[in-house]
Amino acid sequence: MNSFLHLSGIKVRRHKRIILDIENLEISSGEFVGVIGPNGAGKTTFLKVCCGLIKPNTGTVKFENIDWATVGCWTKSNLRKRIGYLPQAKEYNADLPFTLREVAIMGRASVKPLFSPLNKNDGSHVDYWIERLGLPEQQNQTFRSLSGGEQQKVLIARAMIQKPVILLLDEPGSNLDFTSKYELRSLINNLYKRTGITVLMVSHEIDLLPSSCKRVVLMHQGKIVNDGPTNEVLTEGVLAKAYQHSLKVVDIDGYKYIADSDRNES
Amino acid sequence: MEQFFYLVIVSGAIAGSSTGLLGVYIVGMRMPFIGVCISHAAMAGSVWAALTGFNPIAGAIIVSVVTSMTLAAIHPSNARLDTNVGLAILFSLMLGLTFLGIGLEQGSRTEMLSLLWGSLLFVRTKTVLLMGVLGLVLAVFTAVFNKELKAILFSRSLAAATGIHQGFVYCLFLALCGITLAVNLHAIGGLMIFSLITNPAAAAYQICRGHKSVVIISTILGALSAVGGFLISFYCNLPTGACIVILSTIFFGLAAVYRLTVGGNN
Repeated sequence: MNSFLHLSGIKVRRHKRIILDIENLEISSGEFVGVIGPNGAGKTTFLKVCCGLIKPNTGTVKFENIDWATVGCWTKSNLRKRIGYLPQAKEYNADLPFTLREVAIMGRASVKPLFSPLNKNDGSHVDYWIERLGLPEQQNQTFRSLSGGEQQKVLIARAMIQKPVILLLDEPGSNLDFTSKYELRSLINNLYKRTGITVLMVSHEIDLLPSSCKRVVLMHQGKIVNDGPTNEVLTEGVLAKAYQHSLKVVDIDGYKYIADSDRNES
Repeated sequence: MEQFFYLVIVSGAIAGSSTGLLGVYIVGMRMPFIGVCISHAAMAGSVWAALTGFNPIAGAIIVSVVTSMTLAAIHPSNARLDTNVGLAILFSLMLGLTFLGIGLEQGSRTEMLSLLWGSLLFVRTKTVLLMGVLGLVLAVFTAVFNKELKAILFSRSLAAATGIHQGFVYCLFLALCGITLAVNLHAIGGLMIFSLITNPAAAAYQICRGHKSVVIISTILGALSAVGGFLISFYCNLPTGACIVILSTIFFGLAAVYRLTVGGNN
């Protein structure tokens, strides 16, 4: 496996406070890495640093051996055409009356150069992913009328239509009920197995990590507390360091779930 | 009489449809205040150009474009400043500069004050031609950059993360927005621009499904508001600006009622 994404000596400051501090992190091509940690751990900042959206105050981030700091805006945009990104709900405007197809085809808008309009071939990419994700009946509905789970599927379709080399998922399970959440987990798992794409998935819920996720990075207050095989990181002792709470890890059919072991609520 | 009548109708239709089309993107990006801000920048430019003996339209265009570019430099994730707050700050500066200019004028202030409400009734053929050319440029721009503009409307940060040249298209859009508003200012004035940007687009977003229909309906409603408002004012002997603003608000009200009762399409 070759080095795909490499972060070294990263420090990101906001209002004189260091919100991300990563000494060294290397992600290989084809890896599925889960990034977990409590709220405010710096997970989203970490994702944005990885795709060059946030420029760190110190350190280097290399994507496919290219340092984000050494390339101009135009080249950065061209490099990002190879990145599929699933944002948090607060980052997009779901109130606009875009249809499902219109949102999905935005993935092709990412790939195609300026002055090059979308054509039938782009439409066929959309057809393929809409069919594959089980959304053909809703394709002419507005995005805003879909359920949270369906919206996430559309955004995954949007990302996959780009044919990316890496998929960055930012809290894909937030705001979803448990049925939609586990359906999404299975979908991400199948996508990874079939495409072998590199996946970096940020989540504060460990039960959302699919079985294909063999490596977990645990973050707390902007720092990496632990980085290792899933089974070694998702243990009560290790997780307690970041969550600073007495908790219990339950294993059901190979999936890990966190339960509160401190029953004293008074 | 006839020539005056048709010139007003044509200029109203061009100004209304241009601002209606601009409104789709301005309202979609949740910054309707930009209309007031840039039109006041255009007013400041006009007033100071008139004071110093330059062409008022050229002055309006220069100051509006500079203001637009300042806005383009404000990216919420970098500046930690909401675009609307940036707009409000620029607006207050432009308002101050406008009234300072008006205060310094020794002669008649009627022409300068007319910029506040515009003077559809006294628009010149040359200005109407310029408005027509700019309206056409705006229509071509939105067609050529359709895929990028849609992605920016949905989410600027997602567009940036996935390689869409959003910064370039966003800057071009704001520059064109500045020029269009500066030129249309002499026909419909700063305050009416705000209504014609916001109301037709907001009405279209209420009842339409899909981006294309929003663009068509908003452009038509913009033109109908300006022309219809003028005709009502002409035949009922009422103030033109007030009729246009109220008619555009009625269109929004009807659209909102339609959505609440019939349910719209989404």
